[in-house]
Amino acid sequence: MNMRQTVLGVFGLGKRSGSCCGPATGPTENSLKKIAIVGTPNVGKSVIFNRLTGTYVTVSNYPGTTVDVTRGKSLIAGEKMEVVDTPGMYSLMPITEEERVARLLLFEEKPQAVLHVVDARNLERMLPFTMQLIEAGFPVILDLNMIDEMAAAGIEIDVVKLEKELNVPVVATVATTGKGLNDLRRRLAEYVGHPECTVTI
Amino acid sequence: MSAIRNAPLQYDRHIESALSQIGELLKREYGLSKRTVGLLLLQTDTDIEKLVQKHEAEALPSIRKIVDETRSLYNQPLNYVIAMRRQQEATRLSSIVTTSRGKSGTGFTERLSRITMHPVTGSLILLAVLYLGLYQFVGVFGAGTLVDFFENTVFGQWINPWITGVAIRFVPYQWLRALFVGDYGIITLGLSYAVAIILPIVTTFFIVFSIIEDSGYLPRLSMLIDRIFKTIGLSGRAVIPIVLGLGCDTMATIVTRTQETKRERVITTLLLALAIPCSAQLGVIFAILSDSKLALVIWVLVVMLIMLLVGFLTSRILPGEKATFYMEIPPLRLPKISNVLVKTLTRLQWYLTEVIPFFIIASVMLWLGELTGVFNWIIALLKPVVAFIGLPQEAAQVFLYGFFRRDFGAAGLYDLHNSGAIVGIPLVVAAVTLTLFIPCIAQFMVMLKERGVKTALAIAIFIFPFAFVVGYFLNLVLTTLRVTL
Repeated sequence: MNMRQTVLGVFGLGKRSGSCCGPATGPTENSLKKIAIVGTPNVGKSVIFNRLTGTYVTVSNYPGTTVDVTRGKSLIAGEKMEVVDTPGMYSLMPITEEERVARLLLFEEKPQAVLHVVDARNLERMLPFTMQLIEAGFPVILDLNMIDEMAAAGIEIDVVKLEKELNVPVVATVATTGKGLNDLRRRLAEYVGHPECTVTI
Repeated sequence: MSAIRNAPLQYDRHIESALSQIGELLKREYGLSKRTVGLLLLQTDTDIEKLVQKHEAEALPSIRKIVDETRSLYNQPLNYVIAMRRQQEATRLSSIVTTSRGKSGTGFTERLSRITMHPVTGSLILLAVLYLGLYQFVGVFGAGTLVDFFENTVFGQWINPWITGVAIRFVPYQWLRALFVGDYGIITLGLSYAVAIILPIVTTFFIVFSIIEDSGYLPRLSMLIDRIFKTIGLSGRAVIPIVLGLGCDTMATIVTRTQETKRERVITTLLLALAIPCSAQLGVIFAILSDSKLALVIWVLVVMLIMLLVGFLTSRILPGEKATFYMEIPPLRLPKISNVLVKTLTRLQWYLTEVIPFFIIASVMLWLGELTGVFNWIIALLKPVVAFIGLPQEAAQVFLYGFFRRDFGAAGLYDLHNSGAIVGIPLVVAAVTLTLFIPCIAQFMVMLKERGVKTALAIAIFIFPFAFVVGYFLNLVLTTLRVTL
């Protein structure tokens, strides 16, 4: 949790060739399993990143603050993994420069898990992007963040049902307080650690 | 739970048939499902087209034909058709998993949120925030009380006399002593500016900024300013970097990447370099102008007028379409003390690691400059320029500091004002000119990187004389009207 190693810069870009079910290779920096955090601006991606890596990225209640990609390391189920925080993106069709940066990262680095963080209160507006990510074949985990504010707005989401419908893991979190983060780590570990995807290249 | 392949979302039959045809033409692996590559090609995504061009150019003509044919079957653009289908599915999904107890609607926060964005009530709230947060807390308390204590008591009475004594005892050479404790000494100028003047100001500013940021007020402020901007034909997206620029213009110049068109990026970069003071500059200016409310009002009005005027003119001159402004408005919430503290500390840490080495280097360069005579030579060059806008000669060195960094120049002005060398009209003129004056080195480097050499240089070449011309006219107007400040 408290690994203060942030790796900035774009090492290993486009060099990975393994699929999501490829076996873990040696424990070198470049072959760490990778988790990419994506989502629209201002849903708490950076807070989740901080929670997972223990590093501090400037977090703001203000859309568009993460312009460059931030990298950190996290210990998930005893395995060191690289966590990548991306600039906000609304869809796989980029409009702005920062969305292009985020998309390029997904295409070229082929993360073992793509954590889609959404604002739980606006599920309807957030799901199209989740569906695009699934459609593209990324190993998606959906994170319904800010469930406290969702509850305060009188909304309830049936997580199990959503999970069944989407057929990807769904977790509920409150990143600012850390609620649900253990669950998230557990699911990430299961997902990345025992990939059961059947696609071969 | 593990990942299993999903039954993909089905589009209508024309699109599905186009997708399967494209899928057969594509032989390469793109790190994405063929379905997605096909969908992106249907939406004429240029990046993906370039990729296909690069790897299997022979397939591209047939693909383009399929795309054109499919497109002709619809009245709406394909990306709209595809997005609608996806949204339809999202709505269905969300309706079967969501139950709402209907508590939403016009609660207190909702009403407050609207008030902050309304042109009239929003402007009043903004004024209150500026007055209490920036003027009272940063200007009067931070830049006034705290700086006074640090500069005059901590450095002036304790550190500087002590270190000067030490230097006199142990360093026999006057020229070497000057490196540490002279007029431009590392300790007496560099560190004392950084710690005694800039630190209290940016600390108080960062506290206010973190509170505002954590509360969710900033996006609302952007919406509010957007409405004001639109009336003079400026695009709203410029608002985000401009508001952030009040914290640090260098960071804000990087954030211009969020803007959609090159035209907008250039305009915003120019406005940031010209008219947006950074936090340290703002704090110092509030502090030195706080003796006279009228002086402060003149400064605010002139800088805002310049910003609106230049923004208005450039958006007329530069060709291109205006982008529409769309922004997610996060909920308003009570700031959490822990968040505010962590943010303030992180920003301070970042600021100090950047600013202290810089101030030390600047001191060394000034010391070298004085030793070699280059310094006096530049000052001599600047003196007529400074006299041109009605300022005393001593102000020349403030502008020299300003070349290094915005906050360094502001600190110099503070010092000059403190010693009583510059008051009244010249003070306002100096404050305005220094605000408009050249961006700091860090900002200029980022401008070079983000906008390219040509644009960055053009901006700098425009700003330098422009700032002094504005200073000249301001001085002329104020002295002609015999304004007493």
